[in-house]
Amino acid sequence: MKKQLKRILPFCLVLLLCLCLCGCEEEKLTPTKEFYVNDFANVLEEDVKSEILSRGAELAEKTKAQVVAVTVDSTDGQEISDYALNLGRDWGIGDKEKNNGVLILLAVSDREVYIAVGYGLEGALPDSKTGRILDNYAVPYFKNDDFSQGMLSVYKAVQNEVYIEYGLEAEEGYVPVEFLAGDTEEDGNMLPIAISWIIMIAVIFIYIRVFGARGLFLFMGGPRGFGGGSRGGSGGFGGFSGGGGSFGGGGAGRGF
Amino acid sequence: MKNKKLITVLVIAGIVLLLVFWGVSTRNGFVTKEQSVQKAQSQISTYLQRRADLIPNFVNTVEGYTNYEQSTLTAVTEARAKAGSATTAKEQSQANAELDRAINVWVNAVTEAYPNIKADTHFTALQDELAGSENRIATARKDYNDAVEEYNVAIRKFPASIIASISGFDKADYFENTAESNSVPNVSFSK
Repeated sequence: MKKQLKRILPFCLVLLLCLCLCGCEEEKLTPTKEFYVNDFANVLEEDVKSEILSRGAELAEKTKAQVVAVTVDSTDGQEISDYALNLGRDWGIGDKEKNNGVLILLAVSDREVYIAVGYGLEGALPDSKTGRILDNYAVPYFKNDDFSQGMLSVYKAVQNEVYIEYGLEAEEGYVPVEFLAGDTEEDGNMLPIAISWIIMIAVIFIYIRVFGARGLFLFMGGPRGFGGGSRGGSGGFGGFSGGGGSFGGGGAGRGF
Repeated sequence: MKNKKLITVLVIAGIVLLLVFWGVSTRNGFVTKEQSVQKAQSQISTYLQRRADLIPNFVNTVEGYTNYEQSTLTAVTEARAKAGSATTAKEQSQANAELDRAINVWVNAVTEAYPNIKADTHFTALQDELAGSENRIATARKDYNDAVEEYNVAIRKFPASIIASISGFDKADYFENTAESNSVPNVSFSK
């Protein structure tokens, strides 16, 4: 008995540690009801916010892609790329199956901006193109502290690039960003997605086998963070939320 | 008397059946977790390859500026070759760290010697791709380590550990995170 206890104890400790870590992580930012625009740093003008909101809603309606603009004062010492990645994953930006979310993150006091691109849009927005969008549409404004216009212009650019990717017409007057270097990775992403589906189904089966019909419910409420989880889809109830998309670290950033 | 015997047999059979059932489902759980570890590992390999493919492209661009840092570049080429032949998670993480360091040294040397190169759009684009690759590798590595942790804990937890040792599930290696491999080539083009 004592021996058993000894064996189990370390795992209990690990579990406790995990719980603690989860607890710490929980204090992360939560999205606003507007979802597509989250001005935590209070640097955006009202009309810009409402324009981004309506643009985001329109884009999501047409393509299911979600482009989210976030301003924070600082990332508190964290690399902006990590910060953006975690935020994108936590909020589940983009469609759960297409993983077509984009997060535009502006850290005002750090004077940094980063665009994180979800798995599904890495073909449309390779890192070099994303960097170029920032150079052309964000940095010139942000340099002069014009955060409102900068955010709007970079949002427009990303939105139009997504439209082009989905074979829709870009807005009049939008000049697609010239594509220079690097590789477009396209179908390479389908395999991991397929595998993750298979695994997911296998897990559901195992749950059902182990716990009977209850297993399905346990699964729903069980392992959290499985690709962003079962958060609600789009729209409804006067607000928007993430569709469960995930991110793999694609994107580019700039200081200004 | 006979009845009692039958009951005993049935009870034992029931216990055995339950044990077998538990064993099978536990084992299946390991398979699932092992699978996610493998999936995460292949993701790392994909991104490592992606970066390795970018390097020659990068070098060609810089070559346009002539007389680029030959000595530091040799280190990059060597590290790249080594990373290409790495197979296990351990080898990969070591080779990766070395390549990271070599690239950093080289990029720093180039930008120091040719400050103007920062204004070149091709250079910028490749820098972005390279930084993005680093980022993806870091993300894939983190996801991999998370999967390994979950798997390792599962196979070592008592009493499931008995099933693990019977069916030969071994501990998976972590993808080591060295200090060097943490530093993504940092470029600021705003100056």
